[in-house]
Amino acid sequence: MATVNLRAAPLEAAPTVELGRARALWIAIRRKPLGAAAAALIAIIVLTAVFADVLAPYDPLAARPEIRLAAPSWEHPFGTDDIGRDVLSRIIYGSRISLWVGLLAVGIGTVAGMIIGLLSGYCEGRTDLVLQRLMDGIQAIPGLVLALAIVSVLKPSTTNAMLAIAVVIIPGNSRIVRGAVLAAKQNRYVEAAQAIGCRHPRIIVSHILPNVTAPILVIASIWLGNAILIEASLSFLGVGTQPPTPSWGLMLSSTGRAFMEQAPWLALFPGLAISLAVLGFNLFGDTLRDAWDPKLRRG
Amino acid sequence: MYKYTLRRLMLAVPVLLLSSLIVFGLMRVMPGDALTVLMGESGNIGEKELAKIRRDLRLDLPYYQQYLLWLWQMVSLHPGDSIFTGEPITTSLAKAIPVTLELAALAMILGLIVAVPIGVLSATRQDTPSDYVGRVVAVSGLSLPDFWLGTLVITFAAIWFHWIPAIGYVSLWESPLRNLQQFLLPAAVLGFRLSAATMRMTRSTVLEVLREDYVRTAWAKGLEGRIVVYKHALKNALIPVVTIVGGQLGTLLAGTVIVETIFALPGMGRLTVEAILFRDYPVVQTNVMLVAATLVTLNLVVDLTYAWLDPRIRYR
Repeated sequence: MATVNLRAAPLEAAPTVELGRARALWIAIRRKPLGAAAAALIAIIVLTAVFADVLAPYDPLAARPEIRLAAPSWEHPFGTDDIGRDVLSRIIYGSRISLWVGLLAVGIGTVAGMIIGLLSGYCEGRTDLVLQRLMDGIQAIPGLVLALAIVSVLKPSTTNAMLAIAVVIIPGNSRIVRGAVLAAKQNRYVEAAQAIGCRHPRIIVSHILPNVTAPILVIASIWLGNAILIEASLSFLGVGTQPPTPSWGLMLSSTGRAFMEQAPWLALFPGLAISLAVLGFNLFGDTLRDAWDPKLRRG
Repeated sequence: MYKYTLRRLMLAVPVLLLSSLIVFGLMRVMPGDALTVLMGESGNIGEKELAKIRRDLRLDLPYYQQYLLWLWQMVSLHPGDSIFTGEPITTSLAKAIPVTLELAALAMILGLIVAVPIGVLSATRQDTPSDYVGRVVAVSGLSLPDFWLGTLVITFAAIWFHWIPAIGYVSLWESPLRNLQQFLLPAAVLGFRLSAATMRMTRSTVLEVLREDYVRTAWAKGLEGRIVVYKHALKNALIPVVTIVGGQLGTLLAGTVIVETIFALPGMGRLTVEAILFRDYPVVQTNVMLVAATLVTLNLVVDLTYAWLDPRIRYR
């Protein structure tokens, strides 16, 4: 067992990370206007989802066949679909599905990935070997294809799409956490904690976990954009959210493609909403990465 | 190099076995089994017939025997028949694989043709308008979903040029011109997304390499700009680009699923989506496994290429 000379190497104080991180993020946002724009974009999407009831001018499910396929106008800024539903209202409500699926899928995927990564990195040896090979096995299947296979086994629905996306997220997250744990274990305060007989759960929670939160948050923010994209792709292929629930991917595939010549706005606006959401989360993830974890920049 | 190749091959085999276990396990986790769910949905099949189909498909065997049997079927290239069409899966795959291969290869070529020169231009003219345009194109390529881009391309091609995707696939050998007409737009859509990450990587590595001493020496010798950039800088800058291109193979394979569906190309992706929609699980598990095997093999090839390009890798 490694010996620790406490007198020669005094325990390093755990940095007051939270305050430092908030400041680093603020500085990064001020320096990079693109980061600020991304944060604003995300704020708009979140507020739209939260206040959809207030913001949507019409009921997203109310059909008015007499105004079907109406072009964009002051009354219906994004036009109407094939059964006369207001496209703007459906896009506003659609933000709820996208955000909900994104947040839950990333939440589940991140927590599961974190647990596996922590176990893998902390225990090393056989546990690490078995867990990481399992992650290799999952990662060998492209994300969308794996999500499609999972949804095919369960049943097409928003919840199952969300679970499938969570499974896709786990391996990458576990890798990042494992790396961060292996690095954190090298710190002398972890060795010292082991030397004075701290129990493993306490070492993991108090001494290692604070070191891995930054990479986890950075990866989670980048994954949010991807999760929204995968949900939209699954819905587009007909195995995600089911009609008549307004989902951006579904709007694009069902009415958007069927009436593309007569009503191109049906394809234009939902796609624009997906692109802006993905762009916002990608750029914000980049900003977080620059602010908190410069080592990940090339990753 | 042999030792390195052997080591990488040894690592690829367990990964593939684990993937096969995951795919097999996935198809067996649904309550009851695939067939009960499937027949329950159609609702017009008796218990006796169900038991017979189950026996024919060997679903009555214990799981480990089913797995070993499936593994043997996959290795011996006889993965069984589709539940719906009754057609051998190999027959459908023989029709679908060339379509996907052509689409993926064309997308890769188009992507690289666009990405590398723009990446170099962006780096050599850093912080000029052409650099900004290049970077905006790259970021938008990463954020535009390929199913949206594909839908828009079809929509506006139909509105402006009255072009709609041809129904019925024509192979390259039958009529090269009609085949190219069918593949050019889908490959461009897929290639655009691929080019974005490659463009960003080329730009940053060329920028890095342009600051190296040997490039300064090349300038000092009085060499022409083009030779410095393309012969001295680009050659070394391309090594990390190979990794990025390799890392995108998964995106490329997943992208074919979407693009083939939009442009009505009868490839592997569309075959898989249709099998999923009809819950044709023998086809789903074979296709997913095949995609995983292709990806692992391609990643192996990329790693070996990387080791060949950069001798430091193989001695690690």
